[in-house]
Amino acid sequence: MMEPEVMIGIEAHVQLNTKSKMFCSDMSEPGDAEPNSNTCPICLGFPGSKPKVNAKAVEHGAMIGLALNSRINEKMFFSRKAYFYPDLSKNYQITQYEIPLASGGFMQLGETKIRIRRVHIEEDPAKLVHDSGEITSANKVLIDYNRAGVPLAEIVTEPDFKNPRQVRQFMEHLSSVLEYLGVYDPKREMSLRVDANISINGGERVEIKNITGFENVEKALSYEVVRQSGITRMGAKVERETRHFNAEVKTTSALRKKEYEEDYGYIFDPDLPMITLTRKFVDSLKANMPELPEQRAARLVKDYKISDYYANVIIYTGKPMADFYEACLKLENKPEPIASWLVNYLLKSLNWRSERIEDSKVKPETFVELIRMIEKGEVTERYAKELMKQYVDTGTSPKKLAAKEKFALSESDMLKIVREIISKNGKAVSEFKSGKGEALQFLIGLVLKETKKQADPKTIKGIIEKEIR
Amino acid sequence: METSIRKHIEAIKNGDVKLEEFVSEVLERCEKVQSKYRPFITINKKPDLKKSKGKLAGIPISVKDSICTDGIQTTAGSKILEGYVPPFDATCVANARKEGGIIIGKTALDEFGFGTFSTNCAYGAPKNPHDPERACGGSSGGAGCITAAADFPHIAIAQSTGGSITAPAAFTGTVGITPTYGRVSRYGLIDYANSMDKIGVIGKEVYDAALLLSVMSGYDPLDSTSSEEKTDDLTSYVGKGIEGMRFGIPKEYVSDTTDKKVVSGFMKAVQKLEVAGAKVEETSLPLTKYAVSSYYLIAISEASTNLAKYCGLRYGMQQEIVGDFETYFSKVRTAGFGKEAKRRILLGTYARMAGYRDAYYLKALRVRAKIIKEFKSEFKKFDALIAPSMPILPPKFSEIDKLTPIQTYNMDILTIASNMAGIPSLSVPVGKADGLPIGLQIMGDHFAEGKLIQIGSSLEGR
Ligand SMILES: [Zn+2]
Repeated sequence: MMEPEVMIGIEAHVQLNTKSKMFCSDMSEPGDAEPNSNTCPICLGFPGSKPKVNAKAVEHGAMIGLALNSRINEKMFFSRKAYFYPDLSKNYQITQYEIPLASGGFMQLGETKIRIRRVHIEEDPAKLVHDSGEITSANKVLIDYNRAGVPLAEIVTEPDFKNPRQVRQFMEHLSSVLEYLGVYDPKREMSLRVDANISINGGERVEIKNITGFENVEKALSYEVVRQSGITRMGAKVERETRHFNAEVKTTSALRKKEYEEDYGYIFDPDLPMITLTRKFVDSLKANMPELPEQRAARLVKDYKISDYYANVIIYTGKPMADFYEACLKLENKPEPIASWLVNYLLKSLNWRSERIEDSKVKPETFVELIRMIEKGEVTERYAKELMKQYVDTGTSPKKLAAKEKFALSESDMLKIVREIISKNGKAVSEFKSGKGEALQFLIGLVLKETKKQADPKTIKGIIEKEIR
Repeated sequence: METSIRKHIEAIKNGDVKLEEFVSEVLERCEKVQSKYRPFITINKKPDLKKSKGKLAGIPISVKDSICTDGIQTTAGSKILEGYVPPFDATCVANARKEGGIIIGKTALDEFGFGTFSTNCAYGAPKNPHDPERACGGSSGGAGCITAAADFPHIAIAQSTGGSITAPAAFTGTVGITPTYGRVSRYGLIDYANSMDKIGVIGKEVYDAALLLSVMSGYDPLDSTSSEEKTDDLTSYVGKGIEGMRFGIPKEYVSDTTDKKVVSGFMKAVQKLEVAGAKVEETSLPLTKYAVSSYYLIAISEASTNLAKYCGLRYGMQQEIVGDFETYFSKVRTAGFGKEAKRRILLGTYARMAGYRDAYYLKALRVRAKIIKEFKSEFKKFDALIAPSMPILPPKFSEIDKLTPIQTYNMDILTIASNMAGIPSLSVPVGKADGLPIGLQIMGDHFAEGKLIQIGSSLEGR
């Protein structure tokens, strides 16, 4: 069977982590505040209230544009996108239309270049709470305006993705870029959402709305590829529609048919005068741009001579992971073993616990203790792995753990244990001396038990033979 | 009771006014005026008297009902906001209260400002104190009505988008100032067309209007379109004289369709200005013919989005919830909006639609830019432009009923261009014909309110 030709374009919505909302002074991070408590006449759309632009959100948006190689437009307007929906307090959304904050740009994903169409800023609608939990079956909807007016940056790509995997990769990279810019909080629920347009073999475009989570983005799109392929294989045509991704069962379902392009009747928002982003403003943003993940990855490879693979894993796991790595290097300049233990074992343990490094008990000071012990041969690799698990679980210094569990066996420690066992088991020793192989196995077993299997039998055997002969 | 603000201020200074007694007497008189002419939607029966010092200390102030007043019902003249009590004061109201102004009530208007005669008010149209069979003009008709009828000192906070201060000022024989766009904060004004809405004043005398406007003016961080331009004490311009000033009369503003009696009243006033030392010449504003259509396109485009928020969810009219949100929104909006509001929503939505947007909404914005330029070049030659305020004398309600929407829209021909351009204008009464007042309007450059007050006051009382 021929692989279908897939075309995907996305709109990613990022909640910006400014202190206040886009157009009023309520908190931009309401957390789990009581529903509708983080509101005011402006974000509730009360008669007579007027929006006021949050300059920090404009700055954040411009930084995103610059990081995605976009052009910052000198003159910028806000527009009203008018449509009736209960999550919009004014029944229009203040967004940008004719002239967005930034135009053009691209993101490089290995060999693939994903073109950026535009970056603009707008207000987040309220949160709709569906009575039965699902949008397609609820018979009652509650509205929580706490989120209404939170600043969003919308990043629109050209339809350059050839498969769902690339979209996931793009989202991981984008998330990383946003984190490095310090404009977004990846831990916030719904802080990064995706609308995706997907078509196969040049057929009609289907839009999947509001997907959160990188894995879900890939799953939703993969499901669509299969679903649409199935339809075309049967000789039918894919219909143009908007679909909803159900994260529980990992499938999409139809929300509404789209027979024509929606008409939002955009007008300039007359409450918000044109904003001029001067060359000076843009230059100062450029001058103060932080190091971006791509640049940092390249620097890790160049400065520390670690592999591209390690550098990429460390970088795209998130900024705290890369910060952790470099903090470790300051304490113990062993780039390769630290990268290797970090990527191959620490990360796995964290993932297994579904924990982020910054929330975990793992600290550079204690992590390098483990590396030092491994490097000095104080613990074998095999037991170091075991030790890692306990360390990630408890956060206890690996040195202390090893001492407590007798994990770390210096040669003299080992010798001491072997000598003690030899002195206590005269019978087995004489049997061994008389050539009985089982006696040696018995002694090795005792040592293993005493050291809680932290040393390997071959080493023990060598020491016992040396001591007895 | 003294009706002059200046004398009232003097009396307060001399300790001749007992505030509580005075206010209860004023409220009683309001009730009497209300039963005769219906200027109010709400009379504020318990005004706040705590603030007794300031530039407006002890002065009764009425507020157009499209301007939010903390704790006092604000309907914008619409059923859809019946019973709505705002949780905050509009900035202009807060400023007036801070200076000791006493809010006595909320005045009638065409629903959301949609009209020229205040006949589109869901709570009844105010009647003209000069002839109760005639309209007060609009949309700030209630403000004009109470200013003319008040037998007590009073100044009105009014508002204009396309002529809503000048029309009632002319029809009720009062003074109206429509300030420069951005001079007074719009925060708390229930929007009609945000890019043209201006809060202004109506008073019995130029001094009164200048006093209240001075208090309300100034930059407000809550309104991004409010101007940082400094405002001086505008009352200081009253009576300064106009010797040597040059005025232009745009020929398009005195045409065959202008009522002859209005023209003759206007020309008499022009002679007064010449006698006072001004030079008056004819000039031309050729873009005037495009003003009405482009004004209405911009106004309804903005208005149709402004009115979207009224859907019975968070405030105002509610209905029984049956069906989905679209059914519910439609039910509330069908019951809550009047005919003219519905017409403007439909027209405005159409003008914004893809495919029409370029031809209507965007083109109208370009016309506005050209009209501003045209005015600007006139103010290089003239201190001000003068014209009749309205092309007709106040019409009877029975005549208004017969007008088509287009005929009504054309009544705004003399006020629309200046309102679109955001330049200030002042309408001052200049005598009567058949017992009905005639208004003359003075249009000036952006932020030239002082000069307009200077000119307007020269036409008073002589
Ligand atoms: Zn708010």
